[in-house]
Amino acid sequence: MLRHLFKLTWNKKKTHALLIVEIWASFLVLFGLASLIIFNARNYLEPLGFAYERVWAINLQNNQDTTDVAEKIQQVVRHLGTYAEVESVTRMGSNFPFAASQMSNGVKYNGTHSMMNFYTVDENFARTLDITPLAGRWYQSADSVGKHRPAVINQKAREKLFGEENPLGKILNNDGENTWKVVGVIGNYKDKAEFMENKPAMFELLYADDRWNSTLLIKTKPGTDALFEARLVKDVTAQLKGWSVEVDHLTESRTNQHNLTLIPVLIFLIICSFLLVNVALGLFGILNLNIAKRKDEIGLRRAMGATERAVKQQFLGEIWVLATLSMLLGLLFTVQFPLLHVFDVASGVYLLAMVASVVIIYLLVTLCAWYPSRQAARIQPAVALHEE
Amino acid sequence: MIKLQHVEKVYRTSAIETLALNNINLDVQKGEFVSIMGPSGCGKSTLLNIIGLLDEPSRGVVEIGGRRVEKYRDRELAHLRNEKLGFIFQSFHLINDLSVLDNVEIPLLYRSSSARQRRALAQEALEKVGLSNRMKHFPKQLSGGQKQRVAIARAIVGKPEIILADEPTGNLDSAMGNEILSILQNLNKDGATIVMVTHDDAMAKKTHRLIRLFDGTQVL
Repeated sequence: MLRHLFKLTWNKKKTHALLIVEIWASFLVLFGLASLIIFNARNYLEPLGFAYERVWAINLQNNQDTTDVAEKIQQVVRHLGTYAEVESVTRMGSNFPFAASQMSNGVKYNGTHSMMNFYTVDENFARTLDITPLAGRWYQSADSVGKHRPAVINQKAREKLFGEENPLGKILNNDGENTWKVVGVIGNYKDKAEFMENKPAMFELLYADDRWNSTLLIKTKPGTDALFEARLVKDVTAQLKGWSVEVDHLTESRTNQHNLTLIPVLIFLIICSFLLVNVALGLFGILNLNIAKRKDEIGLRRAMGATERAVKQQFLGEIWVLATLSMLLGLLFTVQFPLLHVFDVASGVYLLAMVASVVIIYLLVTLCAWYPSRQAARIQPAVALHEE
Repeated sequence: MIKLQHVEKVYRTSAIETLALNNINLDVQKGEFVSIMGPSGCGKSTLLNIIGLLDEPSRGVVEIGGRRVEKYRDRELAHLRNEKLGFIFQSFHLINDLSVLDNVEIPLLYRSSSARQRRALAQEALEKVGLSNRMKHFPKQLSGGQKQRVAIARAIVGKPEIILADEPTGNLDSAMGNEILSILQNLNKDGATIVMVTHDDAMAKKTHRLIRLFDGTQVL
């Protein structure tokens, strides 16, 4: 029967061309949407790798003040550490967690090159964000005396650069003259929130005389409120005349990052849903019309020994065959994504998206064909043969 | 082979009730070639549909091959149609998107047989009607007479005991009509029981027995 259905559908390919294109296009749109959703869902399930609760980012801008900038920032760091409400303070660049800015750098080890997110942070960073190294340790200020700048990498960077080799004590470099010595390895570090892909990351020691990296992260004690924030801003502003001081709560920044990911996905989802509803209604209409046109064939098949069930299965089977042909055409395109590593997304995401799209298309066509097929099955053979 | 007792068929709508068949009693023996005649609207096709288990009588008993069918469910009726009955229609009812060979194979799709068996039986049936050279053609490429021969091949491919023909020569010229009738006569000689609805007296005279209907009532 399957062969018969394929033959029947194939012989009607010209009649079905538009239907095939419609299902093919729906499959491609679904594949895009499913890839996006699966990519984000998989990322979401990966842990962030740090704790952001009760952490505030204090952005300092020196504006026109160019004298003793590094020393002034260090004074603020020391001052913040004296507050009873503050558990720890760390200093870093503007690419603090959930911020819009980011920095990437190429790093080499033994001829292996990898692009990675780059962070310049001080020795208190791990403590402030509750990061526990998986191997080695977080660097100390004392490590700055060495020939190579101390660095900590994340697990992803370790896999890219070292594979199975132990990275501790190894020297990294870039195309310039900078060299780093790996002292520790941490797990994930997804600073653009949960939906970010876990990418290779490297942290280098921020020297005390650095005048460019002026963001401070403070971890406050539970129950610390806006009054403290006001007091803190007032104190820091008094300490740094002519500077701008801005406080971001990481919990709020995280929500903003989520929105940046979720809103486009949601818009895409709504557009796709409308599209699929339209396709479904179109399919339903076409199938209904088809059945009305093929009443004599239904009557004939019943006369030849087809049961009601066989007629229903035939019409469902035909749409499944049509969907299969359309999706085979679609798969020719979609299979290129994992093969060519498009957008550098894991092949598993695309494969899962293909499976999900295939299942949804089969469900959709079954849903659209179910009622017309049932109607076809209920047509009285004598009536159907007589109507011709 | 076919037995009808006190068969009535009434079509009801909200406004009117039409008596299509009234107290029909019929007994067709195995190997008989029976023709049914009557003016348009007298109930010939309705009677053939009831014999062919395509329609149910409003009253009365239908027996096919010694089996009373009034309590048969859809599946059993379909099985009986597939195994025992072969249909030939005035307008051929061929599926235009299938080749001649595929059209002939249709009844075999509803029984358990392999693709190879189906092909062999369909080829055999087409050879019987003299169309073995047209197997790959599509219905639109055939003349009316050839189409009806395909329909006959389709009716006999499952080797049914009974062939029901509803005005099989109605859409054909007399030469073609005679050719079709001669094929039916040969099938009858081979043992098939045939019931044929016709408007053509000459055709009817060539059958074993004539049944005449008038306003749903058997008059001969």
